[in-house]
Amino acid sequence: MAMLKTILGNLLRPSRTRAPADMPVVPPTYRGALTHDAGRCTACGTCAFVCAPKAIHFTQDPGISVSWHFFIGQCSFCGLCEQNCPTRAIHLRADVPGSTNSAGGDGLRLESVIHLQPCTRCGAAHVPLPAATMDALWAAGADEAERGYCPDCRRWAASARLRTAFTPDGAVAEGGRHDR
Amino acid sequence: MPYSFPLGPYHPALEEPFKVKVQCKGEVIESATVEVGFSYRGIELLAQKRNWVEVITLIERVCGICSNTHAMTFCLAAETIAGIELPKRAAHIRTIIAELERLHSHLLWAGVGAEDIGFHSLFMEVFTLRERVMDTLEAISGNRVNYGMNCIGGVLRDIPDPAAHLPALDALAKGLGEVVIPTFTQNPTALARTRGVGRLSREQAVEWAVVGPVARASGLDIDVRKDQPYLSYADLGFESVVRPEGDVQARVVVRALEMMESVRLIREALLSLPPGPLRATQGLPEIPAGEATIRTEAPRGEAFYYVASEGGASPARVKIRTPSFVNIPAIEPMVMGQPLADLSIIQASVDPCISCTDR
Ligand code: SF4
Ligand code: SF4
Repeated sequence: MAMLKTILGNLLRPSRTRAPADMPVVPPTYRGALTHDAGRCTACGTCAFVCAPKAIHFTQDPGISVSWHFFIGQCSFCGLCEQNCPTRAIHLRADVPGSTNSAGGDGLRLESVIHLQPCTRCGAAHVPLPAATMDALWAAGADEAERGYCPDCRRWAASARLRTAFTPDGAVAEGGRHDR
Repeated sequence: MPYSFPLGPYHPALEEPFKVKVQCKGEVIESATVEVGFSYRGIELLAQKRNWVEVITLIERVCGICSNTHAMTFCLAAETIAGIELPKRAAHIRTIIAELERLHSHLLWAGVGAEDIGFHSLFMEVFTLRERVMDTLEAISGNRVNYGMNCIGGVLRDIPDPAAHLPALDALAKGLGEVVIPTFTQNPTALARTRGVGRLSREQAVEWAVVGPVARASGLDIDVRKDQPYLSYADLGFESVVRPEGDVQARVVVRALEMMESVRLIREALLSLPPGPLRATQGLPEIPAGEATIRTEAPRGEAFYYVASEGGASPARVKIRTPSFVNIPAIEPMVMGQPLADLSIIQASVDPCISCTDR
């Protein structure tokens, strides 16, 4: 009886095979092709740390650049790199192309080069903070000159500010340079 | 004349490799030996070489069908070691995903079972229904399998609009109640192939230590969700389904009625989703030295995890015992004295998952 009802129901329904134009909706949470924004990346290595199949790795050109590498063949689309990246440099886009091939170099392997910059204070080559992060940090009115500092010099500048706040005469001995 | 007959490891009925060596006399099976281990991947050892974040991605791949169960059970174990209390909302979301996974697993089984008894139109019906579950899982998690929902201390993704998933549940309940369950329980073809076939008595069930729907179809009322409620099962209330017959038909009915219970659990969990955070901790997890054992009810029965930590970046030991590991050997007593033609539906009736048995 149930089958009869089903057969009748099926006769009255249109075909269940989808036409090419009738694509299923891709949910916004879909984890598709990975994109990486070198301008936001600080080469912190978190994404490589959380990536179980080791789809992400780094190479270095000492003093000049750090390169971030990704190979889609090893990626399991878990999305952990996107979730854990502190500067939101990685996105798994929902509008993934249906198929990819390596001929055009179109995303089977990604490489981002993050150029090192010399510190405006001590000259050490370092990965600059992403512009958006700097804007957020410096919005509070920090010294504009510190934008070009390396992490060590930023730390030095912060502790110098702390010392000035504690010593009433505001005297800070210049020259407290960190050792490299 | 008696003859022996190897079935598998490449299988006519299932897509995973395992081997059944049967001794037959004419059409009747006299004895059978089950061999597993063809897709061994050494996940337990690999887990000791991955950090606490990577291990979850790895463990999720223990099984292709009940992936969430494994990741979730592992996270529960790590949370127990670290003394992290799961936020209520995260517990509800985990329950919803776990029950959706049970639905899709049981529907997959029902489809494969229908196919094994040569009932192709029922297979089509079942898989159409299963698509609704897969769509819901995809809408919530972004993936049809390996949802990546779990992290130590909570879940990674929210269910922002719980009411949006209710129509799919209604369609499922309707499809199950009007097509799948009546066909399996009333259709003469289905009955002829399943009733009285592949019996496992209560005593045998105890002796072979089967778990999950196989045990419940042999009259053993065991279900971790009821016996030792975890996540939100205590809040939502839970009724286990038990049948005394012990044949393939009983296993079908147990799974079918369990699906109705899952639909109810999901609906209630969606409607009563408590507000609050998704995660108890932020950033990368730190697990102190310690050890924990956790049992959860996977779609195929009790999954058991032992996790030990020495306080380092990776777990010191992850021991996984999956439900199919104990259910698969029980095929041996089930097929004894049965016609050879029923072998495929009998072995399908324990819902063997080779991927998680071999790990
Ligand atoms: S992509 Fe993100 S997580 Fe990876 S190195 Fe760059 S900043 Fe760190
Ligand atoms: S999505 Fe997962 S597997 Fe792919 S690169 Fe990111 S962390 Fe690695």
